[in-house]
Amino acid sequence: MESSKEPPLQGTFECELCGLRVPYSYYGQKPPNTYSVTLLEDSYVMRDPFTPEKDKFLILGSECSLCSKRVCVGTDCSLFYAKRFCLPCANLHLEEFPLEIKQDLEKRIRSKPQSSRKGDSKDRKKK
Amino acid sequence: MECPEEEEEEDTAAAAWDWGHAATRSRLEEAHFPAKAEAAERSEFWAFWERLRRFRGRPAGEKGPGGAGPPARRQGYDARWRINLRLPRGREVAGVPEARVQEFRRALLHFLDFQQKRSFARLAQLQRDRAALPIARFREALLTAVARSPVVVVAGDTGCGKSTQVPQFLLDAGYTHVACTQPRRIACIALAQRVAYESLQRYGNQVGYQIRFESSCSSATRIVFLTEGLLLRQAQRDPTLPGYHVLLVDEAHERRLHGDFLLGLLRRLLPARPDLKLVLMSATINIRLFADYFGGAPVVQVPGRLFPITVLYEPIPPEEGGAGGRKERLDPRPYLRVLQAIDHKYPPEERGDLLVFLSGVAEIGAVVEAAQAYATHTQRWVVLPLHSTLSVAEQDKVFDMPPPGVRKCIVSTNIAETSVTIDGVRFVVDSGKVKEVSYDPKAKMQRLQEFWISRASAEQRKGRAGRTGPGVCYRLYAESDYDGFAAYSVPEIQRVALDALVLQMKSMGLGDPRAFPFLEPPPAASLETAVGYLKHQGALDPEEELTPIGSLLAELPVEVVVGKMLVLGTLFGLAAPTLTTAAVLSVPSPFLRSGSGRCDPDCATSRWPLESPLGDPLTLLNLFDAWVQVKSEGRGGSRRWCRRRGLEEHRLYEATNLRRQFQELLRDHRLLEPAARPSDSYTRQRHHRQRRELQRLKREHEQGEGRRRKVLRLQDERAGSSSGEEGEAERGPDIQDVKFQLRHNVSELQAAASAAQGLSRPQLALLQLVLGRGLYPQLAVPDPFNGTRKDSDQIFHTKEKAGILLHPTSVFANSPELLTPDQGAERRRGSKDGLSSRHQVLAFVSLLETNKPYLVNCLRLPALQALLLLARSLDTNADCTRIVADSWLELQVPAAALQLLSTALRLRASWEEVLGQQLACRRRGLGSQAEGAAERGPSSRQVGQLTRELLTFLQTEVQYGLRRLTPLEQQHLYVGPTVATAVGPPSLFQGMEMVPDEVKGGYKVGGFLTFHCLAGEGDLYAECLRSFWTCPRCGLYMPFTPLERVAHEDACRPPGPEGEEPSPAGLSEDVVQGPSGASALQRPYDCPTCRQQLLLTPTEILRHRKQHQAPPEG
Ligand SMILES: [Zn+2]
Ligand SMILES: [Zn+2]
Repeated sequence: MESSKEPPLQGTFECELCGLRVPYSYYGQKPPNTYSVTLLEDSYVMRDPFTPEKDKFLILGSECSLCSKRVCVGTDCSLFYAKRFCLPCANLHLEEFPLEIKQDLEKRIRSKPQSSRKGDSKDRKKK
Repeated sequence: MECPEEEEEEDTAAAAWDWGHAATRSRLEEAHFPAKAEAAERSEFWAFWERLRRFRGRPAGEKGPGGAGPPARRQGYDARWRINLRLPRGREVAGVPEARVQEFRRALLHFLDFQQKRSFARLAQLQRDRAALPIARFREALLTAVARSPVVVVAGDTGCGKSTQVPQFLLDAGYTHVACTQPRRIACIALAQRVAYESLQRYGNQVGYQIRFESSCSSATRIVFLTEGLLLRQAQRDPTLPGYHVLLVDEAHERRLHGDFLLGLLRRLLPARPDLKLVLMSATINIRLFADYFGGAPVVQVPGRLFPITVLYEPIPPEEGGAGGRKERLDPRPYLRVLQAIDHKYPPEERGDLLVFLSGVAEIGAVVEAAQAYATHTQRWVVLPLHSTLSVAEQDKVFDMPPPGVRKCIVSTNIAETSVTIDGVRFVVDSGKVKEVSYDPKAKMQRLQEFWISRASAEQRKGRAGRTGPGVCYRLYAESDYDGFAAYSVPEIQRVALDALVLQMKSMGLGDPRAFPFLEPPPAASLETAVGYLKHQGALDPEEELTPIGSLLAELPVEVVVGKMLVLGTLFGLAAPTLTTAAVLSVPSPFLRSGSGRCDPDCATSRWPLESPLGDPLTLLNLFDAWVQVKSEGRGGSRRWCRRRGLEEHRLYEATNLRRQFQELLRDHRLLEPAARPSDSYTRQRHHRQRRELQRLKREHEQGEGRRRKVLRLQDERAGSSSGEEGEAERGPDIQDVKFQLRHNVSELQAAASAAQGLSRPQLALLQLVLGRGLYPQLAVPDPFNGTRKDSDQIFHTKEKAGILLHPTSVFANSPELLTPDQGAERRRGSKDGLSSRHQVLAFVSLLETNKPYLVNCLRLPALQALLLLARSLDTNADCTRIVADSWLELQVPAAALQLLSTALRLRASWEEVLGQQLACRRRGLGSQAEGAAERGPSSRQVGQLTRELLTFLQTEVQYGLRRLTPLEQQHLYVGPTVATAVGPPSLFQGMEMVPDEVKGGYKVGGFLTFHCLAGEGDLYAECLRSFWTCPRCGLYMPFTPLERVAHEDACRPPGPEGEEPSPAGLSEDVVQGPSGASALQRPYDCPTCRQQLLLTPTEILRHRKQHQAPPEG
């Protein structure tokens, strides 16, 4: 495989809420080399590192439609419902969301303290 | 697994439509998946699809998480708005109604969203795990230190993450050309994969590994994981290592031989490479030593991540083999008590496995057996042995999961101390013992002995209990024992043979190894032994400079004796079998030992046809060749073939790789013809197609890489087996076989194998001799009383050590009669004086002491012929009927056999000459190609003649005695210089220079023979031993001593059938003695009878002396 196909590194995405730092290779709504699937928001995107397929992409995060914070797509940080909302903003406007979203958000808040799950690393690891 | 959101729009017509129709599915797939999408992806989608439909089909009351009640009719909520993806505009799909296409597309959207969530969750987890590693907080400190200082030491204990993270820190910081060394090959591959994975494949092919036979590197590689040994080889080629900017030496605390030497080299290299960055990574063991060695290098100390561990000292009582008591077999009771205690104290739901550290395989066998019985009874344990002689598949089982409520009990050597990390261990039992190979330079013997471990090891072992949670460590020794342990383990350099190291140092031009600035110097005696050994082997000359053969040997990554075999084998057209033999001898034995340490009888029976009566190296050759035949017959069968014979196939794969490496090295050095190319284009094309197919299989395997962890079954009676192990092993392509077919020219291997199987008896005899010469001087003789001993009690003696046994895997261990001289006919003829024509000596590859000393990998050789041809020194009495080889083996030869000695002298000279030509041509070949064809090796005629003569020599049947001299005899072996002057030079050695030997007495003839230097002979210079004899050639009739007779025979020798070009030693006297009379053979001769001082040739001396004799009576 020639490496020139790889998109150039564009920078590092950093979630302003949880601090997740990952280099991204594309920003926008049309990630290259995909099934021509497009995105409904401008997003930070990288090649999906967990599949051998070259064309798979992974969305890392985007900007909150209300406060413009850069947030990751993790359930602890943001929510997408037609637009991206960071959780603080979503909570401020809780009543404006449909019931399903409200329930979902309340559930997230309840489960927040135990957010760190157990690692699934059964791989043979070096120390 | 997250379930997709429920869809609101229920489709009432759904029941009538068949989604399972394959044609429908593939039409939809075609329209929506990219053409190259993997089949796996499509089937994953349909599985998702089924789940989605099941979820939808549920009654309304149950839907929604947490049963949150019936949702109110809400304005505009649509689960689709929760997805930030959009599919491209749809196309019509023939034969599928629009509504169905829509349904499909909606599901696909959910599927893509689900994939996004899953991958993101993994990514977030990975980042969280990395950030949680103790080393993460030292990133900046480390990078600053590396930027400022040429050498940095990173000290951190197990679990701090240094091995995986430091390389990534360096890559992120922009460093390139990074090499990271590991003591073990397996770690190189694992780390390269881990680092590539953790760095989110961002570096893709920029992370590579390189081990002995495999490399994943390309020009894009920025960091390579490689073994210490491999980096050393690279340094051998170019000592400044110009290819690297940063060197990471990991696991420096292990103090392996290669690691220590590498540090020494790097320290020397630093002044010459000011741009080089060196990072040492070590457990927190003896950090000062490393830092000080590099002039006070800064240390970045990282705390480990360990949970608290309770230490319980439970010394073993004497009646169970503790402190005072010594037992043959390890008593498993103390270990069983721990299992019981755990069962008693901890409920089975509380997970946590047990890791037991024992010293060796036999000990593991004893404990596994007892624990197994206990486990069968309680059904709460799966017992798994772990040591390096187990097959890879068996080793791998320790990573499998036990069923719920069952614990793993892993019984291991110290391999699990630092090399293998097993998650989930909560309990550790430490026997406090380790078996280590130590080297006895005096006996030239490896010794596998049991020692107390060091405190550092004890702490490492304990630490294994606290990796995943609080743990318990049972120490089966007293706290006072612990306090008495040495602080650190003895580094390898101080306990192993240093031959290979010294050879490598010499070839790197490092000068005197005694002056090398080692981290901690090896014992002076070890270095001396190594230098002496290399001189003895001819790899170093008396000035300790590399000889031509030595510099070749330095490039072969094998023991010196094995390397010698390779070089010698190329001479007589025996390259193929020597390559194989050398390769199989250089990997660990392929013979498996089951858990209990014994091979079951079925294996022994099925191995039997492969055994060679000549010895173990030839048995291994047969074994390898038979395996290659099985491989070439078709794929798949070899795995079963090996299992049936109790063989570890992996070793044979390794041997194949090694064989190829040897072959390439010999070709590089022009000792072998270059590889033949398949001639016709049809064959080439077929090969090409085959290779493409194999490549595809390999790729497929790599994509599905990573063996899934399996669930262990509770054992029936047999050792813990993972579910489906046997069956699975046979299913699917054997990836090892695929790699084998890709890497090797199987038809060439097969040709070599069948050629070797078709070797004639004489060729085998020659191969035996070649291997023997390689192994020389590692020789042992059978004890003379072996005939009266049981098979298992046969003992052997080397020069340095008496009373050695045969290793139980040896062919001769089961058939010792092959080594006793008096069999059948000979016995009847009566040989009570020990005379026989069949005395055998054993050449062996190594000498290993475990509980007893053993000879490993033995080859038998006809004693007389082998010693005359190979011995470094041959000392004789006045009439050469008593010959002592290498000052310890005495040969009593009948006078009539003296011709043999003279032939041996001649053969040795021409063998040396031919070998010299072979090596010299290689050196020229390397120097300049231009000199070209004229400078070929020895002529085939010369080699042919030597071959024939050697074979004739080997077949000679003479009755002789063989005896090992007692140590006292060895001390008083020589007459010393004064006495010898009384004797005139004998005529046997005409044409050779004779110099009085200043130590032994007598005369040195050529490089190895000393004539008439043996003490303890009557002073009879054998006048009385003359008897009448008629020369069949010249008809001369007169009394001769045996010696005179041989001399005359030689002088009278007819030119041999192929003797157009007799070697100098065999030149007839008349030819040399030209008309000028100035013969090179003339020697001053003081006649003891007439007191004349004469200048005579040996034959003239004979004639002269005859004048003084009274004519025979009658
Ligand atoms: Zn976040
Ligand atoms: Zn916001």
